[in-house]
Amino acid sequence: MRAYLEFAIKKFQDKMAYRLDFFMGIVNTAITILVYLCIYRALYGNAADVDGISYSMVATNFVITLGLSNAFHYNEMFLQDKIRDGSITNEFLKPVSFILRLLSENIGEGAFKIIFHFLPALGITILYTKLCPPESVLGLFAMFLSVVLGYLILWLISFIIQTWSFWLFSVWGIITIKNVFVSILSGSLLPLWFMPEALRGIISVTPFESIYFTPVRIYLGELEGMELLWALAVQIMWIAVLGLIANAFWKKGVKKLVVQGG
Amino acid sequence: MENMIEVRDVKKYYKIAKREKGMAAAAGNLFNRKYETKRAVDDISFSIKKGEIVGFIGPNGAGKSTTVKILSGILYPDAGEVKVGGFIPYKQRKQYVKNIGVVFGQKSQLNWDLPLIESFELMKFIYKIPQKKYEENLRLFSKLLDMEEFINQPVRQLSLGQRMRGDIVASLLHSPEIVFLDEPTIGLDVVAKERIREFVRYMNETERTTIIFTTHDMQDIEKVCDRLIIIDKGKKIYDGSIEEIKNRYANIKTIELLLEDGRKETKTFDVSKTPMSVVMESLFSEKNIKDITLCESEIDSIIRDIYEGRVILDDLEAERN
Ligand SMILES: Nc1ncnc2c1ncn2[C@@H]1O[C@H](COP(=O)(O)OP(=O)(O)O)[C@@H](O)[C@H]1O
Ligand SMILES: [Mg+2]
Repeated sequence: MRAYLEFAIKKFQDKMAYRLDFFMGIVNTAITILVYLCIYRALYGNAADVDGISYSMVATNFVITLGLSNAFHYNEMFLQDKIRDGSITNEFLKPVSFILRLLSENIGEGAFKIIFHFLPALGITILYTKLCPPESVLGLFAMFLSVVLGYLILWLISFIIQTWSFWLFSVWGIITIKNVFVSILSGSLLPLWFMPEALRGIISVTPFESIYFTPVRIYLGELEGMELLWALAVQIMWIAVLGLIANAFWKKGVKKLVVQGG
Repeated sequence: MENMIEVRDVKKYYKIAKREKGMAAAAGNLFNRKYETKRAVDDISFSIKKGEIVGFIGPNGAGKSTTVKILSGILYPDAGEVKVGGFIPYKQRKQYVKNIGVVFGQKSQLNWDLPLIESFELMKFIYKIPQKKYEENLRLFSKLLDMEEFINQPVRQLSLGQRMRGDIVASLLHSPEIVFLDEPTIGLDVVAKERIREFVRYMNETERTTIIFTTHDMQDIEKVCDRLIIIDKGKKIYDGSIEEIKNRYANIKTIELLLEDGRKETKTFDVSKTPMSVVMESLFSEKNIKDITLCESEIDSIIRDIYEGRVILDDLEAERN
């Protein structure tokens, strides 16, 4: 267990070493959020709300989804590169789980970006526009939990595709398509409230809604009591399902490698 | 004494997809791939006792790395049996890898962005090395390998020799009983090579670590190893002491002749079959010789002769058995 904590801490420290990245990360996150806020402010004009959704709610949605998706960005070609240059075999020489090691490192990086990219960008955004305050302390706590669960869903989807590098020459294209799907279906381009009813129905049976939109709704107080527990249960269910799939692909890939030798 | 490493009739064949030229062939390949079989390890057997230090030598592509991969549990053999320290490496990989240390000279396992010392720290947690032992080992190793001056530098800034020393330390901090070093001296200068040789020798002598050391460099073997295994084209062609090969070669002499007309000639002969006096007599009676030089048989040239088939080791093997 201690080893995985160290992997995360080392990655966190490692990120601190790059000053320019640090500065660019804040600017990048702030600009992404502000561009969306400007567009939606113009769309709202003087209207108090659209379909019962206020501008503040939309702004809050974008701060959370865009801020987190920037923070949750990491090198998704890592496994492919390791498989291509053969250094993946080094990983099998250590008495630790590669999946958990990679997850720990990515979490370390995510934690760094939340603290040093997202929070400063959030500060800049608050100067520009008014956001919805948290509904309750309990809601805020539930949201944090939900963000962690959402991260795991996002991470597992990415990892599953990364494992395909055992069989495919390049997964770059698939990763790119995946990222487009994630931004559309998780509500980071158009908040899911405004999605056509039919599409919304489809999205609600995919893991994408559980990534960012569930935390957003918890924060805004749209989900409370049993509904909130249910939403968290759905997130956990997706983690279990995706975890099993990821593990199966990983095991098969490793088997291929140790049997065929690459 | 019990064997630490036992390898019996091990084979590993790689399947390589054949690529044909031309569009039509490429399209055909999509549906009906043709494979070629590469016999990387072709029926190799040997056993190694605890505390032995064995050199594996062989030309590029001989199957050294493949053998090391099988021994370290990251590759399944296609046939045969392997047992190392009581484990079947490729079947019990997770428990097994705690007991071994592996260095692939061509592939670093250090974290590129972190200072060397932090990669070592990670090893402490990965292998659950007690703090006291970790500190002892680290102090000793960095003294022996002269690492104090670069231990705080990020790995990407290190020279190849420094990085290799780092890799070796990283794989030995947990004091493994068995160590596999796959070309740990490749591309290094003489000084760095010498450091590594001394260190490996030291680990073997003081800790009784069982070590397999692969290399192209015969000097590595001469200075470090007690025993030598030569492999070529996936087959073991020699297994024994270096002395034995040298003694055998002591009888094979090469002389360089400088003739009266300025031409040079070299002659190789076996003094156990034709005595030196007879050779000299016939040479002097046949040619006008101005000068004569007796060449030392360097172990390097011996090995070259063995690879190139100029010397057959069969009778040598037969003699021993
Ligand atoms: N992953 C692989 N796929 C196909 N062929 C391989 C693979 N690895 C090694 N080989 C081939 O197997 C032979 C032995 O390789 P290797 O064990 O790396 O030799 P050495 O380490 O002695 O140079 C070589 O001909 C090499 O091309
Ligand atoms: Mg090799």
